[in-house]
Amino acid sequence: MPAACSRPVRSLRLPVCCLIALCALVSNSPAIAQDKNLLDLEKFELKFGFIKLTDCAPIVIAKEKGFFEEEGLQVEVIAQPNWKTLLDNVISGELDGAHMLSGQPIAATIGFGTKAHVITAYTMDLNGNGITVSNTIWERMQENDPDLLASQPQHPISADSLKPVVEELLDEGEKLQMGMVFPVSTHNYELRYWLAASGIHPGMYTKSDIGGRTDADVELSVTPPPMMPATLEAGNIQGYCVGEPWNQQAVAKGIGVPVTTNYDVWKNNPEKVFGVTKQWADENPQTHLAVIKALIMAGQWLDETDDNGKLVNREEAARILSRSDYVGADFDVIRNSMTGFFYFQQTDKREMPDFNVFFKHDCTYPWYSDGVWFLTQMRRWGQITEPKPDAWYHETAKKVYQPEIYLEAARMLVDEGLLDEDKVPWDTDGYKQPTDEFIDGITYDGKKPLEYLKAHQIGNKD
Amino acid sequence: MLGLWIILILACLVGAAAWAGKHRTVKAIDVAGLNFLTPIVRLCYGEEPEKQLKDIGRFIVVPVIAILLFLGAWHVVSEKIQTKSGKLPNPRDTLHAAKAINDFHYRENDKQAAFNLNGEERAQELERVEQRLEELKPLEAEVNKNVAAAKEAAKERLATKVAPLQEELDTLTAKFKDAKKQRDDELASLASQAAVGDEDAKNAFVGKVRAYRQLASDERDRLRDLRTEINDMRAEKDPEEQRALAEQTAIAEERQYLGKMQDQLTDSNRYEKVDEENAKLQEARETLYAADSATILKAATKVAQTEDRIDRIEESGYAKPATLPYQVKRSVLCVFVGFLIGSAIAIPLGVLCGLSKTFMAAMTPFIAIFKPVSPIVWLPIALIVASAFIPDPDKHWFTQWLWELPLLGEYKINPAFIASAVTVALCSLWATMVNTAFGVAAVDKDHINVARVLRLGFWSRLFKIVLPSALPLAFAGLRISLGVGWMVLIAAELLSSSEGIGKYIWDQFNNGASDSFANMVFVVFVVGIIGLVLDRMMIVFQRLVSFDGAPTAI
Repeated sequence: MPAACSRPVRSLRLPVCCLIALCALVSNSPAIAQDKNLLDLEKFELKFGFIKLTDCAPIVIAKEKGFFEEEGLQVEVIAQPNWKTLLDNVISGELDGAHMLSGQPIAATIGFGTKAHVITAYTMDLNGNGITVSNTIWERMQENDPDLLASQPQHPISADSLKPVVEELLDEGEKLQMGMVFPVSTHNYELRYWLAASGIHPGMYTKSDIGGRTDADVELSVTPPPMMPATLEAGNIQGYCVGEPWNQQAVAKGIGVPVTTNYDVWKNNPEKVFGVTKQWADENPQTHLAVIKALIMAGQWLDETDDNGKLVNREEAARILSRSDYVGADFDVIRNSMTGFFYFQQTDKREMPDFNVFFKHDCTYPWYSDGVWFLTQMRRWGQITEPKPDAWYHETAKKVYQPEIYLEAARMLVDEGLLDEDKVPWDTDGYKQPTDEFIDGITYDGKKPLEYLKAHQIGNKD
Repeated sequence: MLGLWIILILACLVGAAAWAGKHRTVKAIDVAGLNFLTPIVRLCYGEEPEKQLKDIGRFIVVPVIAILLFLGAWHVVSEKIQTKSGKLPNPRDTLHAAKAINDFHYRENDKQAAFNLNGEERAQELERVEQRLEELKPLEAEVNKNVAAAKEAAKERLATKVAPLQEELDTLTAKFKDAKKQRDDELASLASQAAVGDEDAKNAFVGKVRAYRQLASDERDRLRDLRTEINDMRAEKDPEEQRALAEQTAIAEERQYLGKMQDQLTDSNRYEKVDEENAKLQEARETLYAADSATILKAATKVAQTEDRIDRIEESGYAKPATLPYQVKRSVLCVFVGFLIGSAIAIPLGVLCGLSKTFMAAMTPFIAIFKPVSPIVWLPIALIVASAFIPDPDKHWFTQWLWELPLLGEYKINPAFIASAVTVALCSLWATMVNTAFGVAAVDKDHINVARVLRLGFWSRLFKIVLPSALPLAFAGLRISLGVGWMVLIAAELLSSSEGIGKYIWDQFNNGASDSFANMVFVVFVVGIIGLVLDRMMIVFQRLVSFDGAPTAI
């Protein structure tokens, strides 16, 4: 059999391209004639870092499903041991870009921690975290609130039933120890939000206390995500907030109970971003565009649904992610949350179709309002030591979030016929609608950061 | 393949031995530190068969039996040790892990090769891949069915196992609830009596309350124990289900691999891409030739762009993830780089220390303070320094130069690698330094006197008398250094996430999948065997430079 005949048509991409080419010939329209590989790449062998979490999926999928290759990129995807090393490697140039916590580019840009101008033009996902407590703490919470004894307790579970436990421990001269993954991580802010919403003080950062434990009722400490279950099992912490699969892992191993997910703390909250240094983006603008194009395609692939709204590609994605050089956890564990299920206990499996959102709800667009929210949390907990005016929040967010690049990449994809015009928020000013879908019901309007800060009981109010 | 190589090497050795004769062979074996082979050679030459057989029994049969016993004990013990991360892997699981690691390595190599295939070879490979994909389809359906069935069965088994406990829990919960209610009622009625009674009555009431609180707490503990027991049962992994899942994973991984292969052989293939670009180039050229002054710039740019792109595609490679064999090679390279740096510092300083008591006195405080410092302390410091010297490895001339080197290039030496190597050097140089100094200081007085009589100059004395006599001890030091360096390296890689065995272990630990445990146990043997080979190598060097045959400790 000759080679040409045995070549299968694996996807619709080829026919679509042919169709476009045909249209271009017929109509001679310059917009459609824009062909795929026109980008003048400055660099085509790239190294991206990631942390072993399911929300690294867009990068891994873009590699494994060939979206990077279609843009002419050869990308090596390398696991990093923790968020600090990952950021350092991006700043030092060892990595070209990475799967980052939303807070990282912002913190690096304003100089909390390592200072470097890091930008993002792509939000990788929404939601995806959970707060897990050890079996012992869960039992004590159940004692305080017998409703939790039910096999499927009512959600959302607030930290109210945890408060007496914290107080008892304080009386004994001890503080509950909980883990989060990085000082400027979404997890830190979510865990703090969840605790503070029930009147538990998670501690303030000050100039001299960069561990964030001043006045704390509960002490939070940094542990790399994949280490969380082991650290919990070893008894160094009694609970943690981390991304998947490390909450499901705790259930699978029977060492802890996820009490809530960040979907309940803040519905559809932004989670990870794809970050690169400003310098890298300036030196490699075309390459950056190509990367963003591939990532948008990957996000779209991950959130593809059939007519019934079932996510069709997630099983395959879970299979890819379970490879030991990617996330590496068992397929069964990764599949739970990736296909829209979450085990809160062995007996409590629930459907959570939006546990990981990779594309819908305009998820991949880099919203200024997301940046502003992280800045308000940094101020709330004292990581930003001085009060700042409203304008500063907007300026800083605009330094980090680069929707222009995103829109340019999206425009190219639309022209190539790979993306629907209506899937991109073309005309937005970059601020999402105000929302009150938080666990404490406080409204967040990205345009009014100071007002939002004032609305909270615990933490800095200016 | 491996078997063939072993047979070939053995045949060569036997040939060499036959040619060299008994004494030379025995001597060579002794130098190589493989003394357990000596009785076999002697036996072949018919020398004291009884004694040789006894030696064979002692040095070959006994260790083999010990290994078998160990494997047996391991197998038995592993069945009993159940952790929350799964069962301790038994020898068979470990072997499976080794096979999976190997598969992963070869599959990645295949993908890389597929990227570069063209013509007839590519067509053949594609046919193979597609055929195998077809074969897999029914298998996949079958394993999926098996997994579903196994899950169902496991669920049922669990349900029957949990049911009596659950029932007990339910009845106890109800019973305790009633009892509590009864006690509450009783206390309420007693309370009204105690309220009007005297102090004693009130104190007695406190006693009653305390007793009931104790009861309530006991009941709670009982329920908790039951719930824990049930939860533990639920958390336990069903072996049948695990087996079915493992089979499913094997098939699914192969399918993933074949799918990617198919892609590498078609759309993502280098020649395919070049062809595609060439077609575009042709088109662009035609546009160029037909262009007028308004459009010629654009057309010319496009031609240039396409040509550049073709050049790039032609030199591009498949971005292959690091596999264990690659990581092992990189680790060995790293330990030698560190070892060389360490020796380059330690030997001259050691010689100086040995030659001059004063210099030794000056060095003693540093040796005493820095020697016990752990690699974990050196590494972050080395990392910061190395990254400071090479701020941007992608552009720095030093890393660029290293990456261009013919053999070393593929190991992508970066600051993390350099930091690991420096850590190895800093931790391993002490043994060499102290031993060299000792060796130099202990040169036979008669030799020195002879040198004095012959009026040898400083340099001749150093190179003709001092160094040769110090060599055996210096090599003993080097041997210890390399051993220390190998141990230190794994820790350093683990922390610096320099691609290598240490990083592999850390990644596996982080993965926490059901096969990670077995992978880690397999790596224990890999590290051990490489350590052994390095040590044997140093023994050979040490023997070659000593006159009287240095003792071989294990």
